[in-house]
Amino acid sequence: MNLYQPNLVRIDEIIEETADTRTLKLSFQDPEIAEGFDFKAGQFGEYSVFGAGECTFCIASSPTRKGYIEASFKSVGKVTQAMRRLNVGDTMGFRGPYGNHFPIDEMKGKNVVFIAGGIGLAPVRCVIWNTLDLRDQFKDLTIIYGARSVSDLVYKRELQEWGNRSDVKLYQCVDPGGETPDWTGDVCFVPALVEKAAPAPQDSYAVVCGPPIVISLTLPLLEKMGFAPERIYTTLENRMKCGLGKCGRCNVGPVYVCKDGPVFTSAQLKTLPPEY
Amino acid sequence: MMRRMLSRTDLDALVRDLLGAGTRVIAPVRRKVQGREFVEYAPVQNPEEIALDGSQPVRPLKQVVFPPTETLFNYKQDKGLVQIQEAPTTFSDTLVIGARPCDAAALEIVDRVMDWDYHDEFWFGHRQATTVVAVACTDSDESCFCTAVGLSPESTRGADWLLIPAGSSFEVRVVTPKGEALLESNKSRCPESDVPEAGKASSAVEEKVRANLAMNPAKLQEWLGAHFEHPLWQKIALRCHGCGACAFVCPTCHCFDIVDELEGVGRGARRRNWDACQPALFTLHGSGHNPRKDQSARFRQRVMHKFSIYPSRFGEILCTGCGRCIRVCAAGMDLIAILAEIGQNAEEAGSTL
Repeated sequence: MNLYQPNLVRIDEIIEETADTRTLKLSFQDPEIAEGFDFKAGQFGEYSVFGAGECTFCIASSPTRKGYIEASFKSVGKVTQAMRRLNVGDTMGFRGPYGNHFPIDEMKGKNVVFIAGGIGLAPVRCVIWNTLDLRDQFKDLTIIYGARSVSDLVYKRELQEWGNRSDVKLYQCVDPGGETPDWTGDVCFVPALVEKAAPAPQDSYAVVCGPPIVISLTLPLLEKMGFAPERIYTTLENRMKCGLGKCGRCNVGPVYVCKDGPVFTSAQLKTLPPEY
Repeated sequence: MMRRMLSRTDLDALVRDLLGAGTRVIAPVRRKVQGREFVEYAPVQNPEEIALDGSQPVRPLKQVVFPPTETLFNYKQDKGLVQIQEAPTTFSDTLVIGARPCDAAALEIVDRVMDWDYHDEFWFGHRQATTVVAVACTDSDESCFCTAVGLSPESTRGADWLLIPAGSSFEVRVVTPKGEALLESNKSRCPESDVPEAGKASSAVEEKVRANLAMNPAKLQEWLGAHFEHPLWQKIALRCHGCGACAFVCPTCHCFDIVDELEGVGRGARRRNWDACQPALFTLHGSGHNPRKDQSARFRQRVMHKFSIYPSRFGEILCTGCGRCIRVCAAGMDLIAILAEIGQNAEEAGSTL
C-alpha cells in the first residue's frame, strides 16, 4: 500500500449541523486498522469520495472516543458536495492522521479557553471533548463560540450539553442580524464576546479557530488581555493536497502547514508572513 | 591519469544492447514541428536518433521520474462498496543517455523533499529504475545560469555517468555504484586511454554561462528571508500572466495536484498531476479566501521557495539554472534579470548593515 492510498471507512451516521454543514461519523472497515488507529487532538486527515477526489479536514472527534472518527464539513466544492450526496453505509477513503497536535499534556492542570467562529468549532470541538473526557485533569474550561447566524451554529446538541454542564462555562454569540426572537445568547462578533467573557489569562491556555478575520482579531486581543503568545494556540487551514510535505501548496513562508502544523502558537505565527 | 574513453560507435552499440534487453532508453532527439526545430527527451528505438550535440531539450528530464500524470491507485465502486487496486511502485529499467547536467542535478535536489519524513515510493521507484548518463554541455545560450547556483556545464550531480565530449569520442566519468555496474557490463567498450584531459572544451562554455549571471546564494537567501514585503515583488510580477508554464518546464518544480478521474461506470483512478504555484486556484480556500491574493504574492512564492524556503529546509537551492523558465515565458519574465536585481538589493542591504 503506497503513501497516497487511503484506508476505507464506512459512514455510520450522518448528523445535519446546519443547512450546508454535516458531520459524518466514520469507522474503518478493516478491523485491524480500526484497532490500531490512534491520533492526537488537532491532527488532520485526507478524506476522499471515490470519483470526486480528496479533501483536507481536521479530525473533529476526540481521541478519547475510540472506534470512530468524525469529520464536519460545509458543502462548498466538488468533493464536499459529493460527500453530501453520500448515505449511511457508503464507503469513503481516509489517509492520516497527519500533522502536529495541541499540547494536551502541557495543558493539564491549567485553565483552557476555547474560542471558535463558525465551522472553526470543528477542530476546537476535538480538544473540548478531549479535555471534558479527562475533566478532572484540567482547571476551568471556557468555551466562547460565535457564528454568522443562529442557523449557522454547528454542534447545536453539544452546545446545549456544554451549556447545561456546571463544570464548563459557555458563551455564545451570533453576528448582528443573525439572531432569532428566541436567541438568548449575545449579538456581537466573536472578539467582542471574548472581551465580555474576559477569561483570566493566568495559568491559562487558549485554543482559537475560525475564519481568518476571527483569528487575526482574536490573537492580538488575547495577548492584550495578558495571555502569553506561547500559550495561544490556533490551527491553520491552508489548502492542501498530499498532507505529506510534498505537493508544495501549504507553505506559509518557510513552514509547511501539513508537516510543521497545522497547530501553531501566536508566538510562532508572528515569525511567519501573513499568508494564511 | 588514465581515462576511460567511449566512442560514439561503441555508445550506439551499448544502447543497442540495452534496447535488445528490453531497457527503455530515453535520450535527446531532434524534432521538427511546423518548421520549428527543437530537441526533446524521448524514448528511442534506434541509437542513431540520439542527438548529443543539439540544443538543450525543451522540457526537462523530470518527466521520466515524475510523469505529468501518475496513477496512485485504481478503484471500483458498486453500491457504496469500494475496492482499491494498488498501483505499482516498481518500474521497468530505464537508461537516460545525454541528460544535461542541469537536469540530472535536479533529480538529486528533489530527492530531499521526496524523502522528507515520508518516503515517496513513486518518485524513488522511478529513480531506482533509472540510470542517468549525463553529457557535458558543449554550448549554452543567454538563458543558462547553472554556474550561479553552484553547478557547471560539467557537473556530475545526479548522474551515474558523465560523458565529456572529446572529438568523436567521450571521456567517461563514473560517478555512482549504479554507474560502476554500467561500466562493468561495458568495460571492453570503454578502454583506458592516456589522451589529455577533455574538460577544456567545456571551460569555454562555463565562461560563457558565468557571464550571464553572478550571484551570491547565501546573501540572496538572507535578503529574501528578511524581505517578504518589498515593492520589488509588485514590480516584478506586474507582467506575469500566472500561467504556470515556468513550473511545467522547470526540472526542480515538483508541486502536484491529486485528482480522481472516472474511467467508466463505477471505476476510475486517483492520479497526481503536475501543478504550479502561479495560478490563483493553487491556494484558494473553500471559503473563497486566498492567502496569496495577487500575482505578486504568487510570484514571490516561486522565488522564495527556490532560493529561500528550500535552501533553509533542505540545504539545496531549488534551481539548477537551466534557464527554461526564461525561454518559455510568454510575458518575458527573466529570472536572470530578477535574480540580478534581488542580488543587487542584497548587496546594497549588506553594505548598510
